[in-house]
Amino acid sequence: MHDFSKLQEAVLAGNSAAAVAAARQALSEGADPLDLVLHGISPAMAEVGRLFEAGDYFVPELLISARATKEVFVLIRPLLAKQGAQPTGRVVLGTVQGDLHDIGKNLVAALLEGGGFEVIDLGVSVSPEKFIAAVADKKAQIVGLSALLTTTLPAMKTTLDAFRSAGLRDRVKVMIGGAPVTQSFADTIGADGYGENAASAVQLARRLVGV
Amino acid sequence: MNSDDPLATESFQQLVVEPRLPEVLRFLGYPKGVFPPDPMKQSIEQVLTRALPGLEPRGTFSIYAVRAHTRRSLALGSETIAGNIGEFLHGASRVAVLVVTAGRGITELSTEAWGAGDSLAGWAFDAIGSWAAEAAADALTQQISSHLGADEGLTLRYSPGYCGMDLSQQRTIFGLTRPGSIGVSLLPSLLMQPMKSVSGLVGLGPRELVGVNLSPCDRCLQIGCHMRR
Ligand code: B12
Repeated sequence: MHDFSKLQEAVLAGNSAAAVAAARQALSEGADPLDLVLHGISPAMAEVGRLFEAGDYFVPELLISARATKEVFVLIRPLLAKQGAQPTGRVVLGTVQGDLHDIGKNLVAALLEGGGFEVIDLGVSVSPEKFIAAVADKKAQIVGLSALLTTTLPAMKTTLDAFRSAGLRDRVKVMIGGAPVTQSFADTIGADGYGENAASAVQLARRLVGV
Repeated sequence: MNSDDPLATESFQQLVVEPRLPEVLRFLGYPKGVFPPDPMKQSIEQVLTRALPGLEPRGTFSIYAVRAHTRRSLALGSETIAGNIGEFLHGASRVAVLVVTAGRGITELSTEAWGAGDSLAGWAFDAIGSWAAEAAADALTQQISSHLGADEGLTLRYSPGYCGMDLSQQRTIFGLTRPGSIGVSLLPSLLMQPMKSVSGLVGLGPRELVGVNLSPCDRCLQIGCHMRR
């Protein structure tokens, strides 16, 4: 098996240029792209997550590591596609209707991309119809809803209800998050999961797609 | 003068806020006393330098005599504010209703950076905007203190959406002051625009009744909040 330690160090340091260079080198030495994901960047991102949980890394460190990983994915995604390998999953993400807070959703998007997910970011104040159209159009496995205030939480339920009415609720997993969201709120409205922060959002998304 | 009218109303189109790295770092998610090593620290400092021209800290306040209060309500001007705020401000004879903003420019800088794939700068601009909104509220509170008489002090600042008042009180607050004068509006979802805005109340009254050195966080139940003071 190829030694991916240089690549992993670069990801842990959040050095995009070094990570891409290490990935290029590994590929030129014959490393398999899928191996590079499974044994190179995935364990490195898991370590980044662990360091965040342990309080050694903070949001800025998470972001630069995720960016380094994302850039490696840009390089290897075409190679993976040639081998028939799919992205970890496809997620449609947005802030619910009436709410304009986008930073929480942006962080979740950045870390999901760093985790190998393909993210379709619909932006802020997204109507239920727009969520539904994007999920159907992009064949997403997950839809992620974000909100900032208790006053915009009801829009999460409205969005879920719209998925039910459109007969799409069984075709997509719904995860929710944001400062006022709790697990019990997620249970009440029948979401499939709640993520407290961007790192746990990635774990949750992985669980929801079964990887 | 109508008895419902404010005793004073002032708007400031250019409040002075002075960014200090340790404070900004807390909004970026670093705990108190933790400094990122270089090159991260340098990257953050660079974003801070780029952020400064994007900040437009503005604020407005109106001061009212307290018409009546109970533990669960506070009557100011023609409005009555509901919530524990009645108890929290019980020592105040007057109350300043305030709205501040850091302006929309800083959020635009953040959005641009995210769009360009620079997530670190996107996050840092956003955090600087949050810090600036709080700093603008502090600067405006400083201006309010010039209305204090001898032996008077200010209470802590309380905002709708925290434990003293429900978010629905945003409408009442907006009815009592002039956020339009500083370009802040309230959406039907009760969200203020620009995003980096803060509303609230601060009481003025005899120092022995109001001047207790509490932290607002002592009254808040979000124990895990990274902004806890
Ligand atoms: C910084 C901050 C501010 C800043 C900036 C606000 C902004 N939106 O830009 C300022 C000072 C301006 C501010 C103002 C106000 N704030 Co404020 N603010 C905060 C604070 C401390 C952090 C919010 C933040 O930006 N966090 C960073 C981001 C990245 O976190 P996040 O959005 O929560 O997202 C993370 C997770 O939630 C999760 N997540 C998010 N979305 C999703 C989606 C999915 C699918 C998943 C899985 C996970 C997930 O992952 C993200 C990344 O880790 C929170 C308290 C807290 N600790 O959360 C209060 C908080 C959000 N604010 C609150 C309030 C009440 C207000 C005001 C109404 C107060 C006032 N009257 O002035 C105003 C409203 C502003 C407006 N425009 O209307 C309340 C809201 C509660 C409520 N009642 O609804 C909170 C929760 C504080 C509290 N009471 O404990 N605020």
